Amino acid sequence: MDSIIIEGIAFSIPLFIIAIGGIYSEGSGVINLALEGLLGFGAFAGGLSYALLSSVITGNPLLLIYASLAFAMVGGALLASLHALMCIKFKANQVISGVVINMLSVALTAFLANQINASVFGQPSNKFLLEIFPKVTVPLLSRIPILGAVFTDLYTFIPIIVAVAILMAYIYYKTPFGMHIRACGDNPHAVAAAGGNVMKIRFVSVLVSGALAGLGGMCFAYSISTTFSPNIYMGFGYLAIAAYIFGSWKISRTFLACILFGFARSAGYVLVQKLELPSSFGDLVLTLPYIVTLVLLLFFSSKTKAPRALGDVYE
Amino acid sequence: MLKKPNLIKRIFVYCCGPGKHQLLRVSLFCIFLSLLAGTVLLLLLGKNPLEAYRSILQGAGILPKTRYAGKKSQLTDFMSLLNYTTPMIFAALSVAVALKSGIFNICVSGIMVFSGFLATVLVGYSSLAPMIAKPLVILIGIVAGGLIGVLIGYLRHRFNMNEVVVAIMLNYIISYVVSFFIQTKFVDPITRQSVEVGQNARLTLFDYPIMNLKMEINLVFPLALITVFSIRYFINRTRFGFELKAVGLNSKASNYAGINVGKTMVTTMLISGALAGLAGVSYYLGSNASIQPRVLPSLGFDSIAVALLGNTTAIGCFFASLLVMVFDSGTTYMSSRMQVLREIAALITSILLLFSAIGIFFRALANRYAREAEEV
Repeated sequence: MDSIIIEGIAFSIPLFIIAIGGIYSEGSGVINLALEGLLGFGAFAGGLSYALLSSVITGNPLLLIYASLAFAMVGGALLASLHALMCIKFKANQVISGVVINMLSVALTAFLANQINASVFGQPSNKFLLEIFPKVTVPLLSRIPILGAVFTDLYTFIPIIVAVAILMAYIYYKTPFGMHIRACGDNPHAVAAAGGNVMKIRFVSVLVSGALAGLGGMCFAYSISTTFSPNIYMGFGYLAIAAYIFGSWKISRTFLACILFGFARSAGYVLVQKLELPSSFGDLVLTLPYIVTLVLLLFFSSKTKAPRALGDVYE
Repeated sequence: MLKKPNLIKRIFVYCCGPGKHQLLRVSLFCIFLSLLAGTVLLLLLGKNPLEAYRSILQGAGILPKTRYAGKKSQLTDFMSLLNYTTPMIFAALSVAVALKSGIFNICVSGIMVFSGFLATVLVGYSSLAPMIAKPLVILIGIVAGGLIGVLIGYLRHRFNMNEVVVAIMLNYIISYVVSFFIQTKFVDPITRQSVEVGQNARLTLFDYPIMNLKMEINLVFPLALITVFSIRYFINRTRFGFELKAVGLNSKASNYAGINVGKTMVTTMLISGALAGLAGVSYYLGSNASIQPRVLPSLGFDSIAVALLGNTTAIGCFFASLLVMVFDSGTTYMSSRMQVLREIAALITSILLLFSAIGIFFRALANRYAREAEEV
């Protein structure tokens, strides 16, 4: 039971921050299928910064780890700026741009990781090794029955992400800027009439989306494999898209969707282990979030409310 | 003082401006830009770009190499290129047909896995005679692909579900379920992929001796050519093709004009799915012989941008597929000759697709410049 909660949290929370990134972008009216590529590129930037800085900063692994998270956000935002440029300035089709950004991200990280490993570190590899992310067990809270597992063996990135997520939710719902973002997604012309700069607001939203996806991607790189490798492109970006559609573009409901996905995944894995089934049954478990989302959409697609101007090119 | 930007503008308008073959010229301009980007990249790596591009063409069998291994020649390289291009042609056509009626078929990868898996299991491991097995594989590909296509079209029309979202979900569901079956029943313990299909069911003949050469002959390549022309005829010359395009341009107006939008959408997706299914069988039982579990073929995603580069016309798709696959199959030779990483091909291809995604912008910009020039 404990392992279900521990694993579930470690998976859902990074997924949640990526999904918030998606909500920011789509909330402002820019379809973001590029999340997969953004999280991969963010993880690449973080892994690269870790590999490069580890010779400069010695003796302080914690600083190194947190710096790599920051660089991952920068990397994600960098690639997101290309998506924003294509969608907003060049008026490319947003779905196609997203797909192309994903492909570019896979190709670019594979090429750069190989090239940098060969020319800077002198070894043929497409990976960057990382440190194991520090874990804490909160002294008193972890002794609460059942719920205590939430505070046991907690990756320290979890509180960081939760803090960022709360901040992002606050900005999105409670500040004028957040309202502008949501207005751009529903009626960009009204924003323009009220004196807002639609293109600028959308651009910033997509950048934020990239930064958050990069952060989530880096946490996945730490928690799942403690390396950056091309295996990071496992479809978590698409899963995040499923999560915010499931949560009908609302941050609170998306949180529940992410928790559901994460726990379904970890519970399924534990079940497969307990029943001593072959590990291939894990694949069936992995389909659960997608099937649930599909069935949900089947019944509630008329009720889920996407931003009204989603995908519209604003001129 | 203003002369220089004007000259650039004039050249740009000449390249992409309004007039004959504008779409084709914009595509060529995009190809030129990405080759330019590739050149810069190669120069940064300290390689000779001309030499690199030449060895890509040599590797793909377009130009002759200096030396060949036994029983190999330029012709065998070229036949191998056609072999790898065939699935891409089907996949790009699948995307293009759907796009014509305003539907994004992102599910090509998933459909490819689905049809490839079904054909592998039903025919690939059987001992049917080649004359029966091969057509059966093609038939299964068409039917399996068409089924998924119809499902997407129906969900989109009946339940108003976003087809992109449905496709993403289906991609992963198919991928994981197929992976489950492969890993429980059909796994090859050494390669960790599905067991190779028998030669009787394979749509590509490998090492087939002709004229003292060992060739790869893709048996469905002629079918791909026929499909290109029939899709072209179908879209441009038939009533259904007209309705399909009308729905893509404005589904409400089409409905008002008496076109059955739902039927058109579902039929379009039936065709698109069948084409993707063909891509699947010609990939998994042709140029490849086994399925890697948990992996969606990147070809399915590349095809979206290839269709775009080909301006979603059938003939355009054919040439765009050929171009992208020249890069893909010529790179092995280039990377071994020039000590450049293999990954650079994928990089140049994705830059090409990036530019073709903003082709619409180039066109609009050139049109604007042309108008401005007229007004002055």
